[in-house]
Parts: sequence; C-alpha cells; structure tokens
Amino acid sequence: MRGWCGIFLLLWLACNDAPDAPPEFAAILYPADNPSTAAGIALGERLFFDPVLSADSTISCASCHRPERAFTDGRSVAVGLAGRPGIRNTPGLTNIGYFHHPLFWDGRADNLETQALHPVGTPHEMGGDWQSVVARLRADAGYAEAFQTAFGAGGTDSIRVGRALAQYQRTLVSRDSKYDRVRRGEATYTPQEALGHALFFDFGDDPGGAWAGLPTAECAHCHTPPHFTNERFENNGLDAADDLAAFTDPGRGAISGNPYDYGRFRTPGLRNVALTAPYMHDGRMATLEEVVDHYNSGGHYAENRSPNVRPLGLDAEQREALVAFLNTLTDSTFVAGR
Amino acid sequence: MKNLLLLLLLLLPLTGCLDDDDGMETLQDAELTIAFRAEYGGEPLHIQSEAYGYPTGDSLKLLLFQYYLSDLALNDGSGRRQYLLSDIDLIRWNSATDDPTQERTYTVSVPVGTYQGLTFGLGVKPTLNATDPSNFPADYVLNENEFWGPTTRYVFAKIEANAQLEEDGRYDTGLSYHMGSDSLYRGVQLDRSFTITDGSSPHLTIVVDVRNALSSNGQTLDITDPTKQAVHGGNQQVASGVWHRLSRSFRLEVN
Repeated sequence: MRGWCGIFLLLWLACNDAPDAPPEFAAILYPADNPSTAAGIALGERLFFDPVLSADSTISCASCHRPERAFTDGRSVAVGLAGRPGIRNTPGLTNIGYFHHPLFWDGRADNLETQALHPVGTPHEMGGDWQSVVARLRADAGYAEAFQTAFGAGGTDSIRVGRALAQYQRTLVSRDSKYDRVRRGEATYTPQEALGHALFFDFGDDPGGAWAGLPTAECAHCHTPPHFTNERFENNGLDAADDLAAFTDPGRGAISGNPYDYGRFRTPGLRNVALTAPYMHDGRMATLEEVVDHYNSGGHYAENRSPNVRPLGLDAEQREALVAFLNTLTDSTFVAGR
Repeated sequence: MKNLLLLLLLLLPLTGCLDDDDGMETLQDAELTIAFRAEYGGEPLHIQSEAYGYPTGDSLKLLLFQYYLSDLALNDGSGRRQYLLSDIDLIRWNSATDDPTQERTYTVSVPVGTYQGLTFGLGVKPTLNATDPSNFPADYVLNENEFWGPTTRYVFAKIEANAQLEEDGRYDTGLSYHMGSDSLYRGVQLDRSFTITDGSSPHLTIVVDVRNALSSNGQTLDITDPTKQAVHGGNQQVASGVWHRLSRSFRLEVN
C-alpha cells in the first residue's frame, strides 16, 4: 500500500513541476458516440450556415443564430420560414458545449445532438421535415462525401446531421472577455466595473470585506460563473400569477408536466450578453438597463418565483455599474471573423 | 494527466480497504444502496406542493434543499475502521416531482459482518474545497454551479423557500440560505448497527429534517426578520445556527 502511495506521489510531483493555474473551464464533455473530429466539425459548420435544412431553403441555423450577435438574432422572438414568428427569443450559443443539463428555454432537449433535431420540423422555424431534408442532402454529392468522411459508411441521416451540428457548436468557445482577462491578471476593471462586479457577486454581505454594506444584486445565484448560468429553470418574476396556471407561456412546465414549473425558464448564460439584446425568454426587454431595473424591483409575484429575486434597493449609480460589469462579459474575438 | 492523478489520489482511501480484511470474507465490488430522505417536521419533504407550518406562526413552501456530503463511509463494528463509499456527493431536492427519498448505489469492497453505523462530512471537505470546479469534468458533482468564487469556495448546503408572513395566501417572502466554508465543515456520525452478508445488505436510509435545521432545541430562526431572510457567501454568521442544527438533524434508519 505504501509503495503505491509513493508511486502516486512521485507521479503527482512530477506533473506539478510548474505551478499551473487551474484551467478556466471544466473540460467539454465529448459524447462517446460522437467524438469531435476535424471533418465532423467542418461538416457541422457547413450545415449550420446552409439553408438546405429548411423546407424552402431560405432559413439556416445562422439565420437566427447570427455569429456577430453571439449567435442570437436581435429580435424579440425568432422569425422562421415565410416570416412566421416563433414564441421565444433566440438563445445564444456561447460556450454551449460546456452545458450538460437540458437545453432550450424549456429544457426540451437533453443535449446538443438532440437539440439540433428540433428546428427542422418546427413550423415557425425551418418548417420542413427530416425525410425531405435527408433526401436533399443525400442527393448532394458534396454532402454525401462530407458525411462519409466525417462518419464513415452508413450514409446520411438526421442523427448524423445532429451530431455534426453538435460538433460544430462545441467549438463556440468564448474565454477572452474583459472579465476573463481581469481574472487572468491581464486587465483591470474601471472603478465603475469593479463596483458592478462587487454588486453582481454580493460582496457587500461580507461584513469584514472592502465592500461591506453595499447592496447585494443576487445575480450569481442563478448566473453562476464561469458560464454565468446555473443551467436550471427559474421563475424570475417577469409575470404576476396568483395562480400558476395563469402563465401564458408555461415554459418548463409544458415539458415536465409539473404545474409548479409553469413560468420557469432556463437561466441563460450571460457571456456576451451585451450582444444578445433583446432579453428574457420572449425578448420583452430591449436593454440591459431594463433588465437591471426589473431585478431591482423584485419582479412580480408568483409562488414559484425564485427566492433570490427580491427588491434590491440599488441606486442609479449602482444600476449603471451593474450594466458596466455586464459589458465586461463581451468577447469581441468570439464574434469576429466567424 | 494531473486530473487522472488527482482522481487516483482521491481513490486511495478506497484501495486502502482492499489490502487488509483481518481474515473476514470480503465482498468484492458489491453494490450497496444508500437512500437519502428529506423531511419537514417528521414528514417526507415535498418541494413546492406542500405548505409547512413554522414555529413563528407563519408558513412556507420549500423550493430547494440540497447538501454536499464528503467521505461517506461505513464504520466497522469496532468503530475504528472506515470503508469509504463515496468521496463527495450532492443530494438535491428542487422539483415538485422529486421523490422525498433518493437513492445512490455505491460499488464497494467491504468485509461481511456487523457495522456500527455511517459517517460523513457535511459539506465539501477542505481538500476538495480547495480545488476549483474547472479541475473536474463538466458533469462532475462539484460542477453543479455551486461554486461562489476564489475566496468563498463551494456552497455546502442550500435551503430556499417562499414564506407567507401575512394571512393573505401569498408566499411572497423569499428565504435563501446558502451556507459553506471550511470552518463550517462538520463531521456527522450516525450510530445504528447493521450487518452486511454475502447476498444481502441492509436498507440504509440517511434522513434529515429541514424543519429541525431552521428550528429545534428551543432555537428558531426568525424568518420575519429581513436581516435573517438571506445568507450568502460573506454573512455566514447569520446562518451558523441553521448550519449547526442541520448537522445535528441527520439520523440513520436501518431496515
């Protein structure tokens, strides 16, 4: 036993000859049945930007997930085939490969592979069907070869389309915002950003800390670093509902069948949030200032409102500081050149 | 490579159980299931769907209850030797559809015989609390978005509820107790003997009562006091009573 300990310790010390900082993020999980490859990623990127997946070849993934907007579209709700409006705001894709809990605002997909299958057949998104899409892809010699290269024999099917799109989306990694650079010691916050940072992370509740007495903005309970989401479903007080059945959009409840989930939506990640306006699951808020004002108010009553959504008492300077901090989450290198 | 080595080091205590069984028959790679039940006032805890009375005369609905436990282990009959079941785990109730009783199955190698009980540490043990979530795979139990930050580290336990403080039918006062720090880490010993034999193992249930964490032994957290309705990283002192009561609210059932 002691011998084993010695071997392990020697190996450990050998691997620790340099004082490495911990990695910024936990490693992306690559599914065993869909390991990423260069060919798979290239195919996924090609599919992502190709309207071939829609019924009339007018809508691609990138029609709503526009790279320059951190893979959102600037609209309140997505607009799909023939101008049909959807019901939800387009979620961003920043660092989506790191998430391991259900995706979409309502959590209807367990992972990226299955998420990618949904829009094709949704009438207000791509408005088609997989049978037609697969037929078109099989008829295209270039795609047939690309699928062969990426996945080997077996041809083209919806599962492989989903896998290729998932592989591409796992490359959408943002790690060079000012927030990241400050953490790495490569930059410093302005006084306003530093105040916003302290508000965001509730530094004010440390009676012995430098920010003692500062109000707490309660943000990080749900918008938890490093990706600024807890990947869970919350009611953030957007709508008043004395009766939970009164929510016009049941959100997570429509998927779980649990009435106590009505009005709950997946907490979005905030990386690049300044690029992803408008905000909330239905895009009802045009600016980050409106968002901060909402949370400062404590939101509207429903018995499943998150206990962490409460009146904050932030003054104008503090609200502006919070917005300034949120702007430090922008990674211009992430959106440039895609 | 380093992550692999870290994992191997974390598993060392488990391998330590394999090299000396004092002549007793050892079950190799046996599956042992431990149940975890949450209660409120002695009744199974139902998230959101049940309104619970509170000693101040108010009522509340729980939205979240969770805790980390470290080094869950069996104590042998002498009480001197432990057999590690789990290095770290997170037990969470946050949905009305959650069963008040959750189960975890551990693969262990343990001698057959009589055991004195179970031990664990309530919270994230200091050696793990010193590590960052990014040191682990994205779906590891320490990557459940329960990390406050570089100085305050992991949230060991959470109790979240909405309380009705007036008789108006509205559960509109949020209660949010997020607790954790190295100084709060507590060892819990649950003494209740049981016997493991080849072919059968006892049904062990670790029970914890949330109400007792908020109010027991003549001490009650005043949820009507706005200064005591939320505890986060820096103001752990407010929750010290809750934490100490929580650590004493566990019991072991053997069936």
